[in-house]
Amino acid sequence: MRLGTVLYLLGWFLLFFALALLVPLIVDLWFDENRSWVYFLSAGISAGSGALLVAALEPEEEIGYREGFAVVVFAWLAAGVFGALPYIFNGYLGFVDAFFESVSGFTTTGSTVFASLENLPKALHFWRAFTQWLGGMGIIILSLAVLPLLGIGGMQLYQAEMPGPTKDKLTPRIQDTARILWGVYLFFTILEVLLLLAGGLNLYEAFCHAFTTLATGGFSTRTASIAGFHSAYIDYVVTFFMFMAGVNFTLHYRFLRGDFSVYFRNEEFRFYLLVGSLGVAICLLFNFVSQTYTHWLTNLRYSLFQVWSIMTTTGYGTADFDRWHPICRLLLLILMVFGGMAGSTGGGIKQVRLLIFFKFIRLQFRKLIHPRAVEIIRYDGEKVPSDVTEAILGYMALYLLVFLGASLLVTAQGLDLITAISAVCATLNNIGPGLAKVGPTQHFGWLPNFSKLILTFCMLAGRLELYTVAILFSPGYWRDLRLPVFRFKRPD
Amino acid sequence: MGLNVIIVGAGEVGYHLADRLSLEGHKITIIDRDEEKIKRIERYLNVMAIRGSGASAKILEQAGIKETDLFVAVTNSDEINLIACLLAKEYGVPRKIARVRSEDYLTSGSPLNEQKLGLDLIINPARVLAEEIVRLSEISEATDWAEFARGRVILLGYQIREGCPLTGLSLAALRDLRSLYDFLVVAIVRGGTTIIPSGSDVIQVGDKIFLITKKKDIPAIEYLLGFTSKTPSRVFIIGGGQVGSLVARQMEAKKIEVFLVEKDKARCEELAEEFKHTVVLHLDGLEAQELLKEGIDRADLVIAVTDSDTVNILSALLAKHHGARKGIVRIDRPDFIPLLSPLGIDVALSPRLLAANQILRFVRRGQILSVATFLGSEAEVVEMVVPDTPYFREAKRLQELPFPKGAIVGAIYRAGEVIIPKGETELHPGDDLIIFVQREALPKIEKLFGP
Repeated sequence: MRLGTVLYLLGWFLLFFALALLVPLIVDLWFDENRSWVYFLSAGISAGSGALLVAALEPEEEIGYREGFAVVVFAWLAAGVFGALPYIFNGYLGFVDAFFESVSGFTTTGSTVFASLENLPKALHFWRAFTQWLGGMGIIILSLAVLPLLGIGGMQLYQAEMPGPTKDKLTPRIQDTARILWGVYLFFTILEVLLLLAGGLNLYEAFCHAFTTLATGGFSTRTASIAGFHSAYIDYVVTFFMFMAGVNFTLHYRFLRGDFSVYFRNEEFRFYLLVGSLGVAICLLFNFVSQTYTHWLTNLRYSLFQVWSIMTTTGYGTADFDRWHPICRLLLLILMVFGGMAGSTGGGIKQVRLLIFFKFIRLQFRKLIHPRAVEIIRYDGEKVPSDVTEAILGYMALYLLVFLGASLLVTAQGLDLITAISAVCATLNNIGPGLAKVGPTQHFGWLPNFSKLILTFCMLAGRLELYTVAILFSPGYWRDLRLPVFRFKRPD
Repeated sequence: MGLNVIIVGAGEVGYHLADRLSLEGHKITIIDRDEEKIKRIERYLNVMAIRGSGASAKILEQAGIKETDLFVAVTNSDEINLIACLLAKEYGVPRKIARVRSEDYLTSGSPLNEQKLGLDLIINPARVLAEEIVRLSEISEATDWAEFARGRVILLGYQIREGCPLTGLSLAALRDLRSLYDFLVVAIVRGGTTIIPSGSDVIQVGDKIFLITKKKDIPAIEYLLGFTSKTPSRVFIIGGGQVGSLVARQMEAKKIEVFLVEKDKARCEELAEEFKHTVVLHLDGLEAQELLKEGIDRADLVIAVTDSDTVNILSALLAKHHGARKGIVRIDRPDFIPLLSPLGIDVALSPRLLAANQILRFVRRGQILSVATFLGSEAEVVEMVVPDTPYFREAKRLQELPFPKGAIVGAIYRAGEVIIPKGETELHPGDDLIIFVQREALPKIEKLFGP
């Protein structure tokens, strides 16, 4: 592990990040909010720290497999810390709260510490939405697409930020793949902005919501979330784009290139559609039985929206699902774990991992029945190599461990079981709202600071798919640490 | 923009090529049947890797053969390489390169020749290796050798040993000698890393220095630097395979006394039939006592080219221990290369890397006229022409150019004249530049002198 190389690249990342911190200025100037100093100061601090690292450190060799993990995790932590500055300078939040909100943004979680959102400046709202948009497709992947510097070792960074069990590189060069993914992402964002404008939203709110939908983030400019617009049209538009954001973006690219049957040829997509549809069907049934909604169209509108919002890990609300039939509440909690498809902006365990996991269970049954039979797991018509299956099983085990550990630590603070477990579930899977006291009409601001930090860790670990973060905690990773080499040496 | 390249075969040649070409910004897709090799490529290289046969049209289409500019087939099988190239021809790929070992396909009268197969380049690693060995044996002390500007400028690599008169001299001190002889030290390889030196750098024992000079000055330079230069008169070749016999044939033609050592009796008889003057010895390369009786201790040069790396290394070490003057060794595993220089082996050549470099030289044909790449160092030499752009139309001094770190102009070739440059030397459009450059700085150089 060459710490010098890692910090040097982190320096460049912070210089780049400073540009992002300047973007809310547009909104600030547009609405005359007179808080432009906040963004100038934040960008200045980020750029200053970055410049210091770049100037002081000598980069050594190209980055390897191990450095990739550290660069990505440090970059995400740095984004969390420096992205928190606007909240602090605006005078709304202390450090822990601001860090929680900022990480919740970048990891596209959408859990908030604000009890009420309406009195925040518009530029700060825009920053919240913008952090989700950046984090959705990935800040490292964005850097790869635009910074030529990261060309060497870009592979390592890409794999650390988008680990996923399936490899679907679109082009030989990772930089081109990164550009294509961001291009498709931008295309869908603009499309949603246009459709939201057609539904009567103003440009500013259309952008804020398009950013957080495509990122499967879930931050809204209104305390009541999407319900605040009272429009069935907006609900359906947002449902459609949440659904699209949960799909692997390489499939979108192939579709846009004219391969129209690409979605249904993909086994993971069929599974994603099936799980979601089953979820909607169950919610429809029990909302009908329990008389939650009397009109079938209202029932359909809310059930569709809420199931896809939770399963794609967006976390918008149009209905207080915490008041739904208990089976629906538990069902939503389970769907949180499923998440989006691999290669989407959604969080969770990812559909393909669960699909292969279920196939593995079926395989075990078959082996009991036919002990001498040779069986393989097939995915998308091809054999799944056993090391991929092993990696998935390992992932599930680690997931369970982190989930239980974090829940234990949060309940230790005296929270009730449903609140604690659903809070961990909502942050680890990057959803946003949980149940009970962190439910869709509640917020996270009242939690003790220690719990907030635990949940912040869950958000980061969940977004980077556990192993990238977990590896930094294994002692073996740090054993051959090489300290940075400074450019300015004392004369001998 | 980068070329679209398909490489069939992810062995040593394919891997090395993919690595170099992707660093230069080309879009590489590599095809191999071996899952482990594909995994290794996916983990370390920024390229697309596809598992399958390169001789399958379905796989080639998946690899995007319709938009491919360059097709390289370098698997271990001649037949797969040729079939893959024939398929590429059908898809209309403009440039195709195949690695072919069998002499049957290579002889000029063969019914299947380069033109028939539509190939632009046929690479035979054994031939490339034999040519390199013969070339290096002509200059006795140099470990690396490359020629530029139609042979007028030579780049030489020397190992600095105990007692060399250059030891302890700074490059600034060396520069004072330049009024007499034109030469320029363009790189120092020290402990595995390449330094592009400045005046304050001091030459130390154990360094390998690269210097650039005019061909006519070589004897004077070698004399000055304490390196003696003479054509070898007694050569031992360990290993009578394809490479060994190719080298022996060329050496015999130069009236050099050649001893060819081969452990297989039947092969010895074939060799004995082929050569008139060469002494064919039926021995193992490690039978030191027998070899000593044949006079390996008085050899000017020992060339170890068997199929086994360990035999090659050990036999060369044994020969040098007993007094042979110089050893050239064939190495298939590039991992061993850093070990060899400290052990006292002068030159290590990998046929696969040489083959890869020949392909690189072909790919970069165009603005870059010829390229030499050096084992064990991340640097290479490129030849570039100053383009006729408005920027260069008014004469630019070398020191005014935004030259990247890790690059140095070693020589300028202008209108039949060779100039070894200083900072104040001016550049004109049409000048041929010989640039010593670290791998990472190559794209910047290409941009600077691009159209």
